[in-house]
Amino acid sequence: MSNFIQLVKNEQMKTYSQIATWVMYIVLAVFIIGFGVFMKVDQTIMDDGQTTDGNWKQELQAENEQLRQQAKEQEFVASMNEKQIAMNEYRIENSVEPGGYDVWNFVQDNRTNISIISLLTIIVAAGMIANEFKWGSIKLLLIRPISRTKILASKYVSVLVFAMTMLLFLYVLSFLTGSVLFGFENFMEPYLYWKGEDIQQAPIFQFTLAQYLLSSVNLVMMATFAFMISAIFRNSSLAIGVAIFLMMAGNSIVGFFSDKEWAKFILFANTNLNQFFTGTPIISDLTLSFSVSVLMVYLVLFLGLSWFFFSKRDITNA
Amino acid sequence: MSEPVMKLKNLKKTISNKPIIKGLDFEIYSGEVFGFLGPNGAGKTTTIRMMVGLMSMTDGDVMIKGHSVKTDFKNAVRHVGGIVENPEMYPFMTGWKNLVHYSRMIPGISKDRIQEVVRLVGLEKRIKDKVSKYSLGMRQRLGIAQALLHNPSILILDEPTNGLDPSGIREIRSYIRRLAAEEGVAVIVSSHILSEMEMMCDRIGIIKNGELVSIQSVQDALQQSDQKEVALEAEPMDQAFQVLQQLLEGTVSQGGSELLFSIERTEIPNVIQKLVEQNINIYSVNVNRSTLEDKFLDLIGEGTIE
Repeated sequence: MSNFIQLVKNEQMKTYSQIATWVMYIVLAVFIIGFGVFMKVDQTIMDDGQTTDGNWKQELQAENEQLRQQAKEQEFVASMNEKQIAMNEYRIENSVEPGGYDVWNFVQDNRTNISIISLLTIIVAAGMIANEFKWGSIKLLLIRPISRTKILASKYVSVLVFAMTMLLFLYVLSFLTGSVLFGFENFMEPYLYWKGEDIQQAPIFQFTLAQYLLSSVNLVMMATFAFMISAIFRNSSLAIGVAIFLMMAGNSIVGFFSDKEWAKFILFANTNLNQFFTGTPIISDLTLSFSVSVLMVYLVLFLGLSWFFFSKRDITNA
Repeated sequence: MSEPVMKLKNLKKTISNKPIIKGLDFEIYSGEVFGFLGPNGAGKTTTIRMMVGLMSMTDGDVMIKGHSVKTDFKNAVRHVGGIVENPEMYPFMTGWKNLVHYSRMIPGISKDRIQEVVRLVGLEKRIKDKVSKYSLGMRQRLGIAQALLHNPSILILDEPTNGLDPSGIREIRSYIRRLAAEEGVAVIVSSHILSEMEMMCDRIGIIKNGELVSIQSVQDALQQSDQKEVALEAEPMDQAFQVLQQLLEGTVSQGGSELLFSIERTEIPNVIQKLVEQNINIYSVNVNRSTLEDKFLDLIGEGTIE
């Protein structure tokens, strides 16, 4: 076991010895801070002329009146406004004051940057095995008294460690940036969200954390996919290209086949676990346990193929 | 001799129905430098890759200190240090980090041991530099350091002098000799350069088209034949030609400004004396030390890649 940790340490050392890795962190930081500054400027402009006299319940009621009026005049906004009205009524009934845009909202909004992390993790995963072949170092790596299975496992774990480090970096940096720009409020501030037809309430701290984890599912699946291509074809460009293409095209693929019976078995129909906690699933007969099972099958398939090709094939070129 | 450190037993490799290695059988003992010689494409690298488990064996086995590479890979490879083709280290890390990297893969290698190995290959001053800034010779040294970290009983070096300048080649040669003599390490060196092998190895195995055509000790090969190829530059040439033809019974040929002939080593002074007595001016006498090379070419033929 300690041996295995040493191997993971090796992989981490190699990853962080490359300048490209640090560039990735800088890119992510630029996205987070840039987004923060943009929001701040945007907010300052929007704030003009708004008053806060403390009576938020009346304000919400006035807003609801306005929304109802608008819904009568314009049919197409009706359903959207209905949701907003219901949300406002829930707030009034349960005395949940709507807070301003603060650090937690910012952390929550930064969840979109997980797709950037997916991209960067795909690049790292794609290089994990392919680069050893490119550098020729695979020959020195595999003539140690360690089974190929163990080396492969250490590389995969290292990809996951990298992804987790990046997620943590995103979470912490967006929290810090948000605190500076939008002010810090308490951890227990409630957050309201839709689950199917109901409105739910949770502490925003807990909610954002859960959202981050759920959003990482797609990241892990695509990184594992890139890792597999890297292990099979020993070519990182190919792995990056195919994985990013699938990541981008995933939803379109599901949309294209959505009327088919087997659509629910498509990987991308199941990667968004968020749909079971907030909102409604795209394909109606999906359940959480079904999606998790499908994801597990894909994961085992990807890793199984990686293992088969990595441990069975001769190291000829390189 | 003692127990062999490495033993090849009817080792075979077939790639897409084409036999690449057709049954190799030989043994390597501790303290000897074994040269693995053959033309390009003869199967040297394939054999070496099978020895260290980079390629699977179609048939036969390689035993290292009694452990089968096939069935007991970990215990067999524990005794092996190697460079397969070029010493490809991670260019973006320092030499030191590269060694730390490999030291983590085998339990029981201390920081002291790494330092010791660095000293052994003489890289102390540059070990904190990135490998991308190393010259080829330094990389080769780092490669050897990496292979020696765990005190292997057998060192496998595939083309260790590839791309090195003459002084680099000499250095590597003296390392290898020292390792074999002082530490009792068995060294396998592959090459297609014959003169290099002659200077480095105790025994040479010649491989051709996947078959071992000959194994012999270098000492024997040099002593076996005392027949020397001699090139002589003399004036007047015609006269010298006639004298030589009389003495050697017509085996003299003329090549450019030189006369070429084959002669027993002990006869050389005799012939020179005869020429001088005839007032022939001798400008140079060159003896080709090409016995092993001839033998090599005899054995493998020329341009015979199947």
